[in-house]
Amino acid sequence: MSELGTVHVRALRKCFGERTVLQCIDLDVASGEICCIIGPSGSGKSTLLRCIDGLESIDSGVLRVNGEDLGYYETPTAYHALNPKQVARQRTQMGVVFQQFNLFPNMTAAENVMSGPVLVKGASKKESRVRATELLASVGLRGLEGHYPSQLSGGQQQRVAIARALAMDPSVMLFDEPTSALDPEWVGEVLAVMQDLAERGMTMLIATHEMGFAREVADTLIFMDGGVVVERGDAREVITNPKEPRTKQFLRMVL
Amino acid sequence: MVRTVETGRVDTVDASQKPRIHRKRPLEYVSWAVFILLAAGLAYSLTTNPNYQWGVVAQYFTSESILRGLGLTLVLTAVSMLLGTLIGLLVAVMRASSIRPIMLAASAYITFFRGTPVLVQLIFWFNLAALYPHLAIGIPFTNVSQTIDVNQIMSATTAAIIGLSLNEAAYMAEIIRGGFTSVGKGQLEAADSLGMSGMTKLRKIIIPQAMPAIIPATGNQVIGMFKETSLVSVLGVAELLQSAQLIYARTYQTIPLLIVACLWYLAMTLLLSYPQSLIEKRYSRSTAAIGRTIMPTEPAQIGEGK
Repeated sequence: MSELGTVHVRALRKCFGERTVLQCIDLDVASGEICCIIGPSGSGKSTLLRCIDGLESIDSGVLRVNGEDLGYYETPTAYHALNPKQVARQRTQMGVVFQQFNLFPNMTAAENVMSGPVLVKGASKKESRVRATELLASVGLRGLEGHYPSQLSGGQQQRVAIARALAMDPSVMLFDEPTSALDPEWVGEVLAVMQDLAERGMTMLIATHEMGFAREVADTLIFMDGGVVVERGDAREVITNPKEPRTKQFLRMVL
Repeated sequence: MVRTVETGRVDTVDASQKPRIHRKRPLEYVSWAVFILLAAGLAYSLTTNPNYQWGVVAQYFTSESILRGLGLTLVLTAVSMLLGTLIGLLVAVMRASSIRPIMLAASAYITFFRGTPVLVQLIFWFNLAALYPHLAIGIPFTNVSQTIDVNQIMSATTAAIIGLSLNEAAYMAEIIRGGFTSVGKGQLEAADSLGMSGMTKLRKIIIPQAMPAIIPATGNQVIGMFKETSLVSVLGVAELLQSAQLIYARTYQTIPLLIVACLWYLAMTLLLSYPQSLIEKRYSRSTAAIGRTIMPTEPAQIGEGK
């Protein structure tokens, strides 16, 4: 149980066909740690998150979430793939927030939040609805339970998406550029919800371009470029005092 | 009265109030003339040519055997569409499978049933007994079995339903598959990240979202199927066309009875296309966002709900 809410990555390698998009990735996130991943587009930060949430399979390396090998079980000589049911169970322990929200347009805000507990865990509809209302209130969407995603602003949709992920009681939350698809006016409210979540002790991995948020909220920060981790360390330290020339160059461009 | 500075022309109306007049193109006048001429010619021919025998048309239009044929045509349409849609859904799911033999079997099915004429398929099913005189249903490696005489069960109506359903299933499978692919990849990833099983994903995420793409196309298929049922007249099924044929075989009033059949087909397709147009309108509206009414809300409050 002590490993609940941890992410452990060793020598992770991921290829798309001939092209290696991630290599030699080492990453350790402790329980309750907020880790931001920054880097230019195509640096592999999204792919790394997609590997950790199981949407992409990795080619080699070690990938453990909550101390459990993800998608495979280990024998002395090899990793063997788990069956779809076991993979689905592992996935329920990770909350994923996508750049494009990916709310289910055929469901109301409350139904979106309830979808995990009801359709996956088999929870009762009545209890799940009460819980969904609470979760929506906690992200500042009280009274919008009955609205469909098309009736909500981008910022509201992304907050529903966060509530939907939280409804599964995940031990790790993964955010894949959660504010990149938002109009500037909605960015603040989503970051506020994330900051609130961080203060409640949730383990969070966040790929982001929001340097201000990274400096303020993140514990650790890794800078990726070309599929490798270029620099890592204390978030404030890396942002204010980067050591690698590539990091300096990138931060000069974005700050 | 305004005298414009540039041209010196005297205007009675202020320029900002002048109406904008559009001229019809000459082609429009010409096409109206041709259209009226042709319509008049057709009307003249329809009313004066005695060979149409409108009296006979009126006499048989609501005759019992024609109405019974119409009823059977409607039943055949409904049953074949229902079975075709269900089988089509199964084939579409198989076609989308990542397991290769399942996917290939579905592809082969679609290729065969879309690649051969439905008329030939119907005759083929009717003559199935020539290929397999007996069908034995039983549990393998046991003595429990039941032999069926194919000639006996393969009546013209059975062959018609099997033929039409299986053929329709191939087309419906492609329509449903098209609907499936219209559901965004992000939706499937969101469902995956929540740990949904394949079946839940299909029922709760994919099918509801594929419906706007599937339903209008299915409506067209129903109208098509309604007319396609006339093909089963070659098997001797007494649907609308066959009923008309049976009468004119006796009375030699071929043209008036074909007109009776045509009028019924036309009436029913018009009747069916009204709900179809409503459905199309409804789904084209709901796919284009239902008006982005953004509700004012309280701002996200840090620390709330702790």
